[in-house]
Amino acid sequence: MNSKRFFLAIAGLFIVGDWLFADNGVSITGYIQTDNRIQTKSNKFTWNENRLNLRLEGAPSDKYHYFSEIRLRGFGFPATSRFSDLQMQEKNKVYPWGLEFREAYVDLYGFGLKNLDVRIGRQVIAWGTADALNPTSNISPDDLEDIFNFGEKLGTNAVNASYYIGDNLTINGVYVPVFTPATLPFGDFADAFSAPMDLPPGMVVRRLSDKIILPERKPSESSQIGLKASTNLLGYDLSLSYFKGRDDLPILSKATITPVDMIGTVDITTELIYPEMQVIGGDFAGSIGSVGIWGEGAVYMPEEVTMTTIAPSPITGQMETTQTVALDDEPYCKFVLGGDYTFKNGLYFNGQYLHGFLHERGKDELNDYFTFRLEKTLLNDKFKIVPIGGAVAINDWDDVKNNYGLVYAPELSYFPSDNVELNIGSFIIDGKGDNMFGMIKGLDEIIFRLKVSF
Amino acid sequence: MKQISILTIAAIIAINLCTTGYAQLNDAQEILTKVDEVSCAPEDQYMKSTMILVDKSGNQNERKMVIYQKGGDKRLVRFLSPADQKGISFLSLPNDLMYLYLPAFRKVRMIASHVKNQNFAGTDFSYDDMSSFSFAKDYDSQLIESSDTFYSLKLTPKPELEKDYSQLKMWVNKDSFVPSKIEYYDKNGNLWKTLTFDKIEKTGKYQIAKQMEMKNLKKSHSTKMIVNEIKLDSGLSDNIFTKRNLKRIR
Repeated sequence: MNSKRFFLAIAGLFIVGDWLFADNGVSITGYIQTDNRIQTKSNKFTWNENRLNLRLEGAPSDKYHYFSEIRLRGFGFPATSRFSDLQMQEKNKVYPWGLEFREAYVDLYGFGLKNLDVRIGRQVIAWGTADALNPTSNISPDDLEDIFNFGEKLGTNAVNASYYIGDNLTINGVYVPVFTPATLPFGDFADAFSAPMDLPPGMVVRRLSDKIILPERKPSESSQIGLKASTNLLGYDLSLSYFKGRDDLPILSKATITPVDMIGTVDITTELIYPEMQVIGGDFAGSIGSVGIWGEGAVYMPEEVTMTTIAPSPITGQMETTQTVALDDEPYCKFVLGGDYTFKNGLYFNGQYLHGFLHERGKDELNDYFTFRLEKTLLNDKFKIVPIGGAVAINDWDDVKNNYGLVYAPELSYFPSDNVELNIGSFIIDGKGDNMFGMIKGLDEIIFRLKVSF
Repeated sequence: MKQISILTIAAIIAINLCTTGYAQLNDAQEILTKVDEVSCAPEDQYMKSTMILVDKSGNQNERKMVIYQKGGDKRLVRFLSPADQKGISFLSLPNDLMYLYLPAFRKVRMIASHVKNQNFAGTDFSYDDMSSFSFAKDYDSQLIESSDTFYSLKLTPKPELEKDYSQLKMWVNKDSFVPSKIEYYDKNGNLWKTLTFDKIEKTGKYQIAKQMEMKNLKKSHSTKMIVNEIKLDSGLSDNIFTKRNLKRIR
């Protein structure tokens, strides 16, 4: 049985299960969503997704709870290039589709000790108090497939134990046996997280290939641990955390440049690894007056990564090996400060200042970002309008004019009835210089989504 | 001091029958304190409720939820429906601590006080209404009228508190110290909301309002709350009112 048929069997079980297990407190919920995007500059559709999301959940007793989430989606555009593509039984080329096993875990409450809860299985672990951008949240890998939905996480297999001491102190320990890498944006947006490659003048790349080197599947290489202590002090939620594992984004560790002719054409082969790192973090959330505030910071202590380059010497023409530091082991700090407020007229504002985006690493590579969102609901919550929303990036304060990025993301949502949401929005991207938005400037998009929950 | 909320008074008008026959009170603040005490009579409460939201065109939306309350200052509300709100849970604790759990984000989030005066999940109740507070603690009371059956009180927020209401008018049954109606006025002195209590029925040693209705006159929108199931004094554990429990389903 292949994986897609397996999925259909599981999905069928979900559907039949609703009837079968109705009396046992099993809850089956989910949503159907269509998400379509068009790029205004090229006038091309860039995103075509139809998703069926299913969640199965139950708590037969006070002792345990189980949860699973699977996602079936048609995603992408027809990719038929040969006559035989039209004759495939699975219709993959005509209509690409896939499945995602998001989460499947069991919660054991009062496990062995009255105050100990343990969650075992594939799960998303989200730490931190900031909105979407959490420097302390490094256990579950980032799901960066959709660049406009940063903060999304992938499930990871883990044992996640929480011990409650009194009413006001929680110790959380996590063990992840096997490392899972992050997913990355694709298509035009792939450039957002990739620094441009500097090539000598006159060099032309004929073929570029890469190889990802995952850590060995043994505890000393692949396992990760996290510890967190949380409390409330003087009306503020506080936590301290520690993580030992790997960066979920790869870094270039080796490049082999092979000349293929005498006029500067080359083939390049690269190797990428996931560097080890330790992270000590802390966060808080509370309010000053009636303004909600939060903050989150983390000191990253990466291992040093050496970049090996094998290339012909410009003098002798012979292949020679050079080594440089791709990632310094000097600690660096990422942090977020944010706040929100609802005005008397119902206008809601949320703003954050961020030093160091998800993909940035190394003390000298961290840029500054401001995210902001102003929203208002209208007509008894039938409409939600976001007239001002987006982000600003600054990567050189001494020359802001040439080193900035800007995303403007207005949005309008309509809720014709409970469980139904229609959403139209756009992303207008501008920027200059070597920053995330600058590298994808002009790729403006209009987005249309419809979501029905059940 | 025990604390209560509108919901305590409204959906759970708990009249301890042993306390009937209060002496006539002339001091307005004392009357308001009695209202708080009577409303807080049950040690704890569990109820399943349906909220029906009605807009000016008569269109209806429904919310189902379970509410746990202990004393007057601990409450947990968990949505059962509609599907897009299922699992959203709200915890109110002493000292104005409020937490919201949104399953989609897998996080328990502290709510700042600016949210308190916002509508709770599209209903005509605010977060402040849904959390625990005391009328006597929050308002200064003035006796406007004393008829054969009702005390009529004017409540004005204490100066140090930030409320969206400029004043409340409350009609309190003289024999039971249970309010039958509350009017809420905006900062300009205009009538904004009215809360009425219906279907008061005896449950155990208490009397329970099985239905209440909050009308928002500015929006021509109303929320009717119907109590489908209620258990009083069932010995709810303090562990229910914790962040640990907030994200559990039941």
